[in-house]
Amino acid sequence: RVSSDGKPPKFQPPPKPVIIDRKTQKEESRFLSPEFIPPRGRTDPLKYYIERKDMIQRRKVFNIPDFYVGHILAVTTADPYASNKSNRFVGICIQRGGKGLGATFVLRNVIEEQGIEICYELYSPRIQAIEVLKLEKRLDENLMYLRDALPEYSTFDVNMKPVPRMEHEEIPVNKLQVRMKPKPWSKRWERPKYNIKGIKFELPEHKMKAAQKWSQPWLEFDMMREYDTSKIEEKIRKELNEELEK
Amino acid sequence: MMPIWTKSGEKKPVTLLKVQDCHVLRYVSKEESGGKTAKLLVGGKNVSPFSKPESAHEIFKEAGVPRKQKVTTFNVTDDAIIKPGTPLYAAHFRPGQFVDVTAKTIGKGFQGVMKRWGFHGQPASHGQTKTHRRPGAISTNKAAKVYRGKKMPGKMGNIYRTSFGLKVWRINTKHDIIYVNGSVPGHTNCLVKVRDSKLPTYKDCNKNPPFPTFFADGDEELPEDLFDEEIFQFTDPSVTFA
Repeated sequence: RVSSDGKPPKFQPPPKPVIIDRKTQKEESRFLSPEFIPPRGRTDPLKYYIERKDMIQRRKVFNIPDFYVGHILAVTTADPYASNKSNRFVGICIQRGGKGLGATFVLRNVIEEQGIEICYELYSPRIQAIEVLKLEKRLDENLMYLRDALPEYSTFDVNMKPVPRMEHEEIPVNKLQVRMKPKPWSKRWERPKYNIKGIKFELPEHKMKAAQKWSQPWLEFDMMREYDTSKIEEKIRKELNEELEK
Repeated sequence: MMPIWTKSGEKKPVTLLKVQDCHVLRYVSKEESGGKTAKLLVGGKNVSPFSKPESAHEIFKEAGVPRKQKVTTFNVTDDAIIKPGTPLYAAHFRPGQFVDVTAKTIGKGFQGVMKRWGFHGQPASHGQTKTHRRPGAISTNKAAKVYRGKKMPGKMGNIYRTSFGLKVWRINTKHDIIYVNGSVPGHTNCLVKVRDSKLPTYKDCNKNPPFPTFFADGDEELPEDLFDEEIFQFTDPSVTFA
């Protein structure tokens, strides 16, 4: 470009880069219970919409707190055969399964040296109260390996008091590495299929290497298995917030 | 399929069936059809008219209705005849009724005798030579022939089957959905025929159903959801055993 003056054109500094701080933005998004997210399939979305209406209806009447796997919960259910007609069980949540109204969570505890796991349905009308006693996330989303761990890691006091916690605090992640009982275990937890980070494997090196033989490194690049739920989650979160505020 | 809870806290599995654009297409009188009762032809889901020739559209043109994917017959008594062209809704059924559901089962293709008929096959080891899932003997020596209808490998599924005596727990009038107890033959989103139950135990169970059918332009105004008496509704507080 030739300017009219003959002098070089005025120096235009490059535009300043706009830094979008995604970390602070992510923290604002609240927790969405995993049973609201519809699974991939050929079912009519009307079915999930109607199920969600029922779930919201139940949540309006009965408070279901937000909890992850690893939290310690106390659940009171109505029991026709108990003396007080109600039954209280305290335990650590090891698994959350099911979608829609049939969503379940499994609580584990060891009472008088006997390990007990109870699978409760979130939306069952027999549940009278769910209290979160301790908020704590673990390194994995499935703590089934606690069955093969030493019993001290699954014992929780039945008369535990709820641990006080400030709202708007991040849920702490407990990076506890659990010690296991001697093998055989119910499942071969050292295999990469389970991707467990919360166990302190005391197995010899050659066994850990041999377990890597079953690794499937191509799985993370498989595009057919990708299920991007971000947009669906946003829609459902909006719907939930609207309905619960009514 | 979805769970539903009763007032005593028991869980029942329930199938959702949607009534999608059902219209009565034609009335066939007793003498014309040659059966014991008159028949009503009813059509199901709407479908594009361009994939079939004009001659196939006659029934739909007479009734004044777009082309339907499925046409079924219902045997009907003389006092339940409906004019062709009336739409049918889910409110035709009421909670507490018992219903038979017919549909084509999921097709499994050509299947062997163990999956198709439940034969036990042969042991996996102890000297079996190339024989683990075969039928074994197909007839006796004296018969000197194989009987007709002998269970053998073949195409399995994709045939009409009925589940009898299913209870209707709930009806959604806004979206025309019927909640039926238990499971129903067929894959998800397949076409299904719902009929009043013919089992003798449920002969007198329908108390004041909408007869001959539920008319949307009538005076009745139904609430959005109709529940059976025993169902736990989510607006109530949790169940307690006193």
